[in-house]
Amino acid sequence: MAKSDDCVHILQGLLVFGNVVIGMCGIALTAECIYFVSNPHGLYPLLKATENDINAAAWIGIFVGLALFALSILGIIAVIKASRTLLLVYIILMLITFAFEMASCITAATHRDSLTPSVFLKQMLERYQKSEPANNSNNEFTKTWDELMLQNHCCGVLGPSDWQEYTSAFRLTHNDADYPWPRKCCVLDAQGLPVSLDGCKLGVPGYYNSNGCYDAISGPVNTHAWGVAWFGFAILCWTFCVLLGTMFYWSGIEY
Amino acid sequence: LPAPSARLPYVPHLPPMALLGKVTATTFALEGPRCVFDGHADASDAVWLAVAFANASATFRNPRSRADVPRYKQLPTARSYMTLETAAAAYSCSAPSPPVLRVGSDTACRDQGRQDPCNGPLPSPGPYRVKFLLMGCRGPKAETRWSEPILLRRAVSPGTIDPVPTRHGSDVVVIASILASLGAVLATAVLGALGAKLRGSLCHQDLGTDAFTRRSYRTHHIPPALPQPVPPGCRCSPPGLCRSSPQPPAPC
Repeated sequence: MAKSDDCVHILQGLLVFGNVVIGMCGIALTAECIYFVSNPHGLYPLLKATENDINAAAWIGIFVGLALFALSILGIIAVIKASRTLLLVYIILMLITFAFEMASCITAATHRDSLTPSVFLKQMLERYQKSEPANNSNNEFTKTWDELMLQNHCCGVLGPSDWQEYTSAFRLTHNDADYPWPRKCCVLDAQGLPVSLDGCKLGVPGYYNSNGCYDAISGPVNTHAWGVAWFGFAILCWTFCVLLGTMFYWSGIEY
Repeated sequence: LPAPSARLPYVPHLPPMALLGKVTATTFALEGPRCVFDGHADASDAVWLAVAFANASATFRNPRSRADVPRYKQLPTARSYMTLETAAAAYSCSAPSPPVLRVGSDTACRDQGRQDPCNGPLPSPGPYRVKFLLMGCRGPKAETRWSEPILLRRAVSPGTIDPVPTRHGSDVVVIASILASLGAVLATAVLGALGAKLRGSLCHQDLGTDAFTRRSYRTHHIPPALPQPVPPGCRCSPPGLCRSSPQPPAPC
């Protein structure tokens, strides 16, 4: 029937369009996750120290994106050829990919939630300037914090008073009278020396950095986590509709 | 007998401006006693700062001469010491005096054990009381009142920080619940379609077509045929069980 033929063609067209969108989103997801894994803000040592691998979600995202792209091509071929076997394979593989992407989204969202200021504060107090020459990861940790404080003109997680309110590994090697907070918290001149050391030690406004670094950390981490979680969620909603349409199409094809 | 020292009404206090390092664990800052000693001080006099534990300030006796000044090293035993010896001219009204004095800033003299007045870091959180003392060649000439007790900061261990978040944000709950329901719907749909197809393929003998729509047999102009026998085992009720096309059910 002409009308049914039209319906079939429309359904095929919609499914092909749906698969094209899935393919493009898969490539975009892969690209985004590769960007996050490549550690653009240099914050990975901090995140690694919190024993909370937010990168796991990004790694899953890379492979899921590639799988979505490959499956979308398979889907387009299967829809155009109206082959039951290919469509069945497509549906089953898509369901597996759906499950993995679900895991990635939920992992990214949960891990992001657990990165509170307290987590970073505790890590910083326990590991910054910890003097264990044999342990390379502590040196890397200290270097990351120094870079962070220098580039963002910030100090500590919530402010320089972090160093006053709590004892720390830093306090064990640097006495309180000379170093109420690390030298990197002072406003530095072009040579990297404090503009006024006494002003910095006293806490005179203008000679030390009074903001905490938590905003500088949580900004990129939030972008990372929500980029993986919400984009993945959007892809999954679209994939859900395409899969339902494909199953309807599949069930209508006779041998 | 030496003349008793004049008691000035000035009370030493912390600087009023906002300074984050006003009070740390081993140091504190004081506002400089500007104009306080004018009229009592000669050019050769010196202003000292007497620091005592708050409960030992009542028993503090002004030293008779510079030689009797209690030193920094005696703080644990004598419960007081004097430091920050400065020429009285530095605090006069006409001179630009330092706005803030920092007690405890010199870590070098603590270690080297020099006998000069040492402004070393304070060994315990206190509380401490301070007063300024104007010393001349013949002994103390004037003193201010004792300050309010100054308590230094006490740091706690980072083990007291609890890094566990109290509850998950609503975002996680939304994502997890919606995704779980989508997954469940998909799984059900797949199982349902597979089940329907399995049951349908048990009913069908052969239809011969492989296209999606060509299933209606009723538009040909042919003489009415004998009714087709119903295949055994296929009841085709309720209607539509053997087919999934939306057209009205043909007889089996």
